[in-house]
Amino acid sequence: MSHQLPAILFLLPLFAAISMPVVCLKHRHWSQPISVAILAAMVLVSILNLYNVLHHGEVRYVFSGWATPLGIEWVADGLASVILVLFSALGLLGVVFTGPTSPKDLGGRIVHYYTLILLLVSSLTGIVFAGDLFNLFVFLEVAAISSYALIGVAGGRALFAAYRYLILGTLGASLYLLGVSYLYAVSGTLNMADIAEKLPFLLHSKALVGGLLFMFIGLGIKMALVPFHAWLPEAYTYAPESISPILASLVTKVALLAWVRIIYWVLNASIVINDIPILLLVAVVGALAAVIGASLALAQQNIKMMFAYGGISHIGIILIGIGQGNPTGFVGGVFYLLNDAVMQAGLFFLAGVAFCHYGVRTIDDMGRVGKQAPWLTGALIILALGMIGLPPTGGFFGKWYIILGALEADNYVSAAAVVLSTLLTLAYFVKLFEAIFRQTSTGSDVPLGTIPLSFKLTLGVTSAAIMILGLFSSPIIQLLLSHALPPGL
Amino acid sequence: MVDALLTVLQRPNFLTFVILFLWGLYIMVTRYNLVKKLIGMYLVQTSVIFFLVSISAKRDATVPVLLSTTEPVQAASYLNPLPHVLTLTAIVVGVATTGVGLALCGAIYRQYGSLDEEEILKKLE
Repeated sequence: MSHQLPAILFLLPLFAAISMPVVCLKHRHWSQPISVAILAAMVLVSILNLYNVLHHGEVRYVFSGWATPLGIEWVADGLASVILVLFSALGLLGVVFTGPTSPKDLGGRIVHYYTLILLLVSSLTGIVFAGDLFNLFVFLEVAAISSYALIGVAGGRALFAAYRYLILGTLGASLYLLGVSYLYAVSGTLNMADIAEKLPFLLHSKALVGGLLFMFIGLGIKMALVPFHAWLPEAYTYAPESISPILASLVTKVALLAWVRIIYWVLNASIVINDIPILLLVAVVGALAAVIGASLALAQQNIKMMFAYGGISHIGIILIGIGQGNPTGFVGGVFYLLNDAVMQAGLFFLAGVAFCHYGVRTIDDMGRVGKQAPWLTGALIILALGMIGLPPTGGFFGKWYIILGALEADNYVSAAAVVLSTLLTLAYFVKLFEAIFRQTSTGSDVPLGTIPLSFKLTLGVTSAAIMILGLFSSPIIQLLLSHALPPGL
Repeated sequence: MVDALLTVLQRPNFLTFVILFLWGLYIMVTRYNLVKKLIGMYLVQTSVIFFLVSISAKRDATVPVLLSTTEPVQAASYLNPLPHVLTLTAIVVGVATTGVGLALCGAIYRQYGSLDEEEILKKLE
C-alpha cells in the first residue's frame, strides 16, 4: 500500500476536480468545503508519504507496471516529499482563504473555480514527482492552463494580464518541448535517470547543448527569471485576491524545482560544457535576478506589485544557493525555497486581506489603516522580518546557509548579491512601514469591525510557520542534508 | 558556403521547422491584434510538433506495425512510434491552450470592445 502513496497523492485532487462539476451541480456552496476536505486529506497523505520515504528510502513508482525506461516513472525522494508536504499545506490554506475573497459575480461558475484550483494542485504533484522529461512538460502545461484561467476569472485588467501570461508561458512551454525533443534525439530516452546514465558519453554533441539551452530558457520563462519576468507582476497583481497566494507560492517555485531536478539529477552537477560550468551560469543568473528584482520592487506603489517583484528577487536568491555546487549551498537554497513559498503565500494573503477588508491597494493607503488593524500590521511585521532575513525567522537561516555555501565555494560575488538584495528588500519594507507608522491621513474612513476567521487563520498560520521554520531550522536542515541531497553532491 | 547550403537543403524538414518556428515568433512579436498573436503562438507549437515527427523518420522504413511475428524485429525497418505518441499529447496541450487563449480574447473583446493591443493599452491607462 505505502508504495502507492505518490499515485494516491496525485489522484486525490484530480478525481475531486473532475467530479466537482457533477457533485456540486445542485449545491454550489458545497464546492468549498469539499475542496478543503480533499486538500486536508492530501496534507495527511503527503505527511504519510514523507514518513514512508524517510524510513524506507525513496519510492520509484512505475505506472501500470511498465518498467523503465519504457514506462513512465515517478520518483518520490526526500526532496520531492518534503516539498510536497509544504505545497499541499499551502494549497489548503489558499482554499481556506478563497471563501470570503473569491470574485462575487461568479454565480454557478464558482464550482469550476474550485475545479481549476484542485486541478492546479494535482498537476503540481505531477511536476514534483515526475521522473520523465515529457511527463514534466505535460504537468507544467496543465498547471499553466489552470493558472491562465484562474487569473482571467477576475475580469478587467486581469484578462489582459492573463493573455500576456498565456502567450509568454506557451512560448516557454514550446521551447521546453523543443529542448526535450533535442535531448530525446541525442539520447533516445526521456527517463531522467536513463538520460543521466547516457549523458557522459554525449557531451561533445551540439544538439545536447542546444536542447539544454532551450529547456532552460523555457523553464526560465515559467519561473519568471529576470530577463523573462515581464508577465509575472501584472498577472499576480490583477489576479483574484484568493488566487495570487496560490500562484505566487506554488507555480513559480515548482518550475524552479524542475530546473533543479534537471541540473542535479539529469545533468551531473559538476558538468562543464564547452568550458562553461553550468552551475556558475546558474549562480550568475540568480545574482542578477536577486538584485534586479529587488530594485524593481523598490519602485512600486501597488503593494501586490511590490510583493510580486519581491518574489522575483527571491527566485534569484534560491538560484544562488542552488548554483554553489556544495551541500551547504544546495540545502540553503532548498530551505530558502520552503521559506519563500510560505512568505509569498503570507504576503499575498496579507495583500488580499488589506484589499478585501480595508480597501487598501497602494502603499499610501496602508497609512490609513495603520494601527486599527492589529492582525494586518502584526502579520506584516513578521513577514517583513522573514523577507528581510532577520533572526529568528526561517528567511535568516536560509540566507545564512546560502552565504556560507557561497563562501565555501569562494564565490564572493554571489555572497555580495545576497547581501545587496537583502538591503534592497529592507529598503522597500522600510517604505511600507514608513507609510504605516507616519500616519499622514486620518483613520476615520476605515471600516472597523472584526475580520473573518479565515483571514485570521491564514495570516496567523503563515506568520507562525515563518517563525517555526526559523526556530526548527536545524532539524530541517539536517533532514535535508541526509535525505534530499542529489547524487552528485 | 555552398556545402553548408547543400547540407541544409538535404534536410528539408528541419529547414521547414526553422521557418515555421521563426515565422510564428515573428507574428507573435510584431502583430498588435490579439487573435493574430494567438495564431503565431499556434504556429510555434505546431512547428515543434513537426520537429518531433521529423526526428522519428528513417530511410526505407515503414509504419511501426510488425510485418511478421516469427522473425526477430529489425528496428531499422520501422519508424520510431514514440515521438508520434508524444505529438498526440502535445497537440492536445496545444488545443487546450489555444482554447483558453480564444476564451480570453472573447472576454477582452466584450470588456474593451477591441482586439487591438494598442487600443486596449490606451484604455487601460
